[in-house]
Amino acid sequence: MDAAASRPAVVIDNGTGFSKMGFAGNVEPCFIIPTVVAVNESFLNQPRGSVKGSNWLAQHSAGVMADLDFYIGEEAVVRSRSSSSYNLSYPIQHGQVENWDAMERFWQQCIFNYLRCDPEDHYFLLTESPLTPPENREYTGEIMFETFNVPGLYIAVQPVLALAAGYTTSKCEMTGVVVDVGDGATHVVPVADGYVIGSSIKSIPIAGRDVTNFVQQLMRERGEHVPPEDSFEVARKVKEMFCYTCSDIVKEYNKHDKEPSKYIKQWRGIKPKTGAPYSCDVGYERFLGPEIFFNPEIYSSDFTTPLPSVIDKCIQSAPIDTRRALYKNIVLSGGSTMFKDFHRRLQRDLKKIVDARVLASDARLDGEAKTQPVEVNVVSHPIQRFAVWFGGSVLASTPEFYAVKLELGTSS
Amino acid sequence: MPNPEVSLRYPQFLVLSMSLPTPPPETVFFGGLPFGAIEAIKAAYGVVAQILDPPRDGYNLTMKLNLSKLPQDEELQYDLLEKVASLREVVLGAPLRVVLKHLASKKVAPDVDRLVALVHRPKESFFLVPEADKVTVVFPMRFKDSIDTVLAISFLQEFVEARRTAGLNNAPPCFWSPSPPLELREAPTEALSANSGFVTFVIFPRHVEGRKLDRTVWSLLTFHAYVSYHVKCSEGFMHTRMRRRVESLIQVLFSSPLALRFAYPASMDEKHLLSSSRAQWFDTPFFCKSSIEATLQVFPYNEP
Repeated sequence: MDAAASRPAVVIDNGTGFSKMGFAGNVEPCFIIPTVVAVNESFLNQPRGSVKGSNWLAQHSAGVMADLDFYIGEEAVVRSRSSSSYNLSYPIQHGQVENWDAMERFWQQCIFNYLRCDPEDHYFLLTESPLTPPENREYTGEIMFETFNVPGLYIAVQPVLALAAGYTTSKCEMTGVVVDVGDGATHVVPVADGYVIGSSIKSIPIAGRDVTNFVQQLMRERGEHVPPEDSFEVARKVKEMFCYTCSDIVKEYNKHDKEPSKYIKQWRGIKPKTGAPYSCDVGYERFLGPEIFFNPEIYSSDFTTPLPSVIDKCIQSAPIDTRRALYKNIVLSGGSTMFKDFHRRLQRDLKKIVDARVLASDARLDGEAKTQPVEVNVVSHPIQRFAVWFGGSVLASTPEFYAVKLELGTSS
Repeated sequence: MPNPEVSLRYPQFLVLSMSLPTPPPETVFFGGLPFGAIEAIKAAYGVVAQILDPPRDGYNLTMKLNLSKLPQDEELQYDLLEKVASLREVVLGAPLRVVLKHLASKKVAPDVDRLVALVHRPKESFFLVPEADKVTVVFPMRFKDSIDTVLAISFLQEFVEARRTAGLNNAPPCFWSPSPPLELREAPTEALSANSGFVTFVIFPRHVEGRKLDRTVWSLLTFHAYVSYHVKCSEGFMHTRMRRRVESLIQVLFSSPLALRFAYPASMDEKHLLSSSRAQWFDTPFFCKSSIEATLQVFPYNEP
């Protein structure tokens, strides 16, 4: 076996919001950074025609320098805030790579500046979202093999990895529904024996960023004194720190009204411009934020199907012989499934839908045949936030991984 | 590659094993390690590390770190942890450090050969020629990919050129040559096959005075990684430029109705072509080549 096989594979999971990267065999990724590149586009705005004669060379080299002048991750966000010459570019939109230039730069920095490894010495495992066209895979392979000269590459489908993440916590179960709620997109993906059932994938236009937006909107409407330039960040932190899923909105409202001291939290921050400290209350948005998955009509009028019914529809559209197994293993993945009791609420609501259907069919059959009860099980585990990455880490540390990876030349 | 082991029963102990790149025949290892490595480890980690003999199976070195003996001061602690993380540098750089330390006091290190080979990558080594007033370091540069080779050569030529600028007068002189320099006369021939030429640095005592020693050792030991990084980045940069150029050419092509007419059946009207099928065209990888060929072949014959 070659030298690269004796080193751990590099596992990079590029999501819309955050990228998780690290080495196979580890439990946690080494870095979780926002998938963003700050590019210097100041030279692009110069009018072309105004430059004449000898000056074109200067402009050309300015363009060359600007191409090399970029930052990724947290650093990019900081740079773009402090200087006007950097623009933020999000290479991944809704789970798909849109800007390959930015993506290539992002990978370059991930490998050399964050993981600090020589790409020629490691196998790579990358991820893609389930509905990615094959052209994107080719493009990824092209960049990985031709720019970075990786010895081997495997591009895994995210939900399959999320299922594989459960592999160690319980048993090896490669059939299940993955509910992947990321920052930019929510997918419900049925997987049977490790294969994605492509025709049954359902997507929801509500994801983590919408929860943040909703929290921000609620706080603004109540008139909390949050500096406007900071309000999205504050909303995000409030979401991450205080939000939870309730079992019933009305009861939860009552609880809050009876004991405000217990339920209303305080957020303290410092105004970015003046440096003066401020504080604001965090109230109903604590449970209303995650509620948009279960009652989307409170947030948007375009999309009103609750997440549990989407999951139900997804399973109902899957092949009939897989449905029971799918109901039995519903796996959560993505940072926005981390709200407290999210899986309980999901399980309860889904069970309600399924039980109602079983009852109706029993009534229709009029006691002639008894339907077996359907087991509904929503699995939650502590590594949900980077379940996809963890699954990749597990997969890439098995010896079988080296048998399935792509080598240069087999991709085309 | 280092491999840490922790047991839950003794959380204050961390066992760290490391395997080194396979040494080429010209490099001499003593007990599986470069010379001076044991002393270097002791000097770097002090009481915190204890070397286990024999090392774990498949590794060159195993040491036990006693975390309870870490210094109390947070800054010192951080420094030490950083040293642990650069274990590879401590071990592989040990001979280099010994040679350069003697250079600082203008002596030739005792019991070293006229030509010292140091492993830095699997089956690859670089060479030191220690003398009393200077140490010559020669890196045979090898790259796997043919494009990498070309880029590395031009990068190294520029690198040598950049050394001549006025601000860098005090930096170590460096040279690049496509053939092995004279210093490597005695080296075995298989060590002299480098597809990207040879880089030579001459280190003088002033480069290794006091605290400069650590930085010099680090820079020399990571030189190959440094070049490799720049090669990969320039490759990425060129791809970006090429991609942009292809896009602009395709745009020019689309703005010419001639190309469209010949590339697609006449039954489709231009408007339709321009609007609906443009997106599909972009994705067809063979569009450019085949349709341009078709255009070129058909064109002269159809001329009325």
